[in-house]
Amino acid sequence: MTYSTLKLCSGRGAFEATPWPRLQLDLAPIAATLVAKGVPVTDARVMLIIGFARETTLSQDGRVLIKTQDVEEARRIFEELRGVAGLPEITDAPGAAPRIPERLIPP
Amino acid sequence: MLMSGGIDSPVSLYYLLRQGHDMVAVHLDNRPFTDDSPLEKIVDHLTVLNGRFGRKTPLYVLPHGPTQITLMRNTDRHFGCVMCRRFMWRSAEKIAEREGATFLATGESLGQVASQTLSNMRTATASVQLPIVRPLIGLDKQEIEAVAKSIGTYEISTRPGLCCQAVPDRPATKSNLLQILREEERIDVDAVIDDCVRRAVVM
Repeated sequence: MTYSTLKLCSGRGAFEATPWPRLQLDLAPIAATLVAKGVPVTDARVMLIIGFARETTLSQDGRVLIKTQDVEEARRIFEELRGVAGLPEITDAPGAAPRIPERLIPP
Repeated sequence: MLMSGGIDSPVSLYYLLRQGHDMVAVHLDNRPFTDDSPLEKIVDHLTVLNGRFGRKTPLYVLPHGPTQITLMRNTDRHFGCVMCRRFMWRSAEKIAEREGATFLATGESLGQVASQTLSNMRTATASVQLPIVRPLIGLDKQEIEAVAKSIGTYEISTRPGLCCQAVPDRPATKSNLLQILREEERIDVDAVIDDCVRRAVVM
């Protein structure tokens, strides 16, 4: 069970990580742990909306979406969530850059 | 006129303004299931169209995120898109009543996404009474994009942004009204709509 590399979502407004195979998470204890750590959480039953430094959603099937266009920030937030939720690691090599569409790379 | 920030709705609005209609724009703000970009895009779309036609189209912004959370918590996710649309239509109709509008309009074209199959459009619009105008219904995406480029809204629509995260993994492309009504029995529909409309902001 792994996550593919963090990649920009199709709208290019956030980074997402999708596990394969999909997970079946029990979100309630994850929400409780986050709240106990003082992190604001909205529990929408099928996903959590988490008030990290950048708003993050964790779906029941393990998909994670982080609202930033900065890959390093996305990686830090993913690791923060992984520590709480016990998610699998991302499989790309440490420090490997995700594929970013060429037109988003500054000249 | 329901505005999403996408490519289609400003083109649809353009056709109606060109025909001389006085329009009111309505945006169902989907945060936290999206980001700020749809609203920013709509403000820019309206700036372009206001400049082109020399008159201001008012914009109502309604919070739709709390409605989505209510739907997620209480109803079958498979029908998420069509139920979301039913609540959008209802909220828009309330604004239309407030403004004395005689029809509702969208940028829908047939079969483009899960909520735009004929079956789902029929189920979604059964929630409202006003007639619905869809100027783009028979156009394909390339045709709509060509118009968007020519009127100066395409570049705005295609700026980076977050897709709706409330879309279920496998949204229903067919829906049965009775099934949807049974789902809605789990929700206080009037209270959800009243709460949404009460918090509308006019820009």
